[in-house]
Amino acid sequence: MPRILGMPRCLAFSLLTILVWGAWGAVSKVASEGVDANTNQVFFTFGLLPLMLIVWRSPRNAGGGEGRRIGIAWAFLTGILGGTGNIAFFHALVIGGKVSVVSPVTALFPLVTVVLAVTLLHERVGTAQKAGLLLALVAIYLLSM
Amino acid sequence: MSLLPAWMWFAGIALIFWGITGVTQKLATNRISSELSFLWFAYAMIAISAVLAAFVPIHWHLRPVIFWAAVAGGTLNGLGALTSFTALESGGKAAVVISLISLYPLVTVAFAVIFLHERLTPAQAVGVGFAIVAAILLSLEPKPPDGKG
Repeated sequence: MPRILGMPRCLAFSLLTILVWGAWGAVSKVASEGVDANTNQVFFTFGLLPLMLIVWRSPRNAGGGEGRRIGIAWAFLTGILGGTGNIAFFHALVIGGKVSVVSPVTALFPLVTVVLAVTLLHERVGTAQKAGLLLALVAIYLLSM
Repeated sequence: MSLLPAWMWFAGIALIFWGITGVTQKLATNRISSELSFLWFAYAMIAISAVLAAFVPIHWHLRPVIFWAAVAGGTLNGLGALTSFTALESGGKAAVVISLISLYPLVTVAFAVIFLHERLTPAQAVGVGFAIVAAILLSLEPKPPDGKG
């Protein structure tokens, strides 16, 4: 698989994700200074349209076989949950939360994924994840101060 | 209920909803491509916006800087969704990729301090560090009990 700037592709795209999501947090705070959470979410959606136009023509949109409908349903649910989370995130910023504090709190979302994996999927929790759970709770307490 | 500031409750709601998407996203991409997943993710965002526009007051006349910040937010977030899918599809192990991208608040905090002139209390500064380390630890997959892959 070709490298990008001398890096493996997965590392290059991970670093790009850090940059654009990091910038998104700061830009969201700017928007939240002048608009309520619901309006922010509506204009946020306008920002997705150029990306939709690019992805629209992908030949990989046709695949999926028998699981296609189920996959689409999960993707749609992801959008509903993601959008609802966005509104809560924007509201936290609108009512005075500093983005330098709100962003690290919301980035603890693997906390929920781990809890769901344990309770619903009966997956095992490793030592690192147990330490992460504890550290996350301490972090939430410190960030609320 | 009053132990935590009001914003923390909403941040907690975002955390829970985004946490669930960690599972639903995987369930989607197990069956369809990341591109098609992104399209339907975006259709859901459009559906939410349509419901909001129908039932709650939307302020259509915004100052240009606010308008562009909100729109750019959508583009940046969507681009991040696509690049994270691509990172996973490029052979990156989920545990490594998710741990790595959990570092994105470092960029947000840097931008917030430099450009938005936010200031953190010492406790919050320690909390930011703990949160980032915690997010990485939570993303690590446990080793199999017998040490085999």
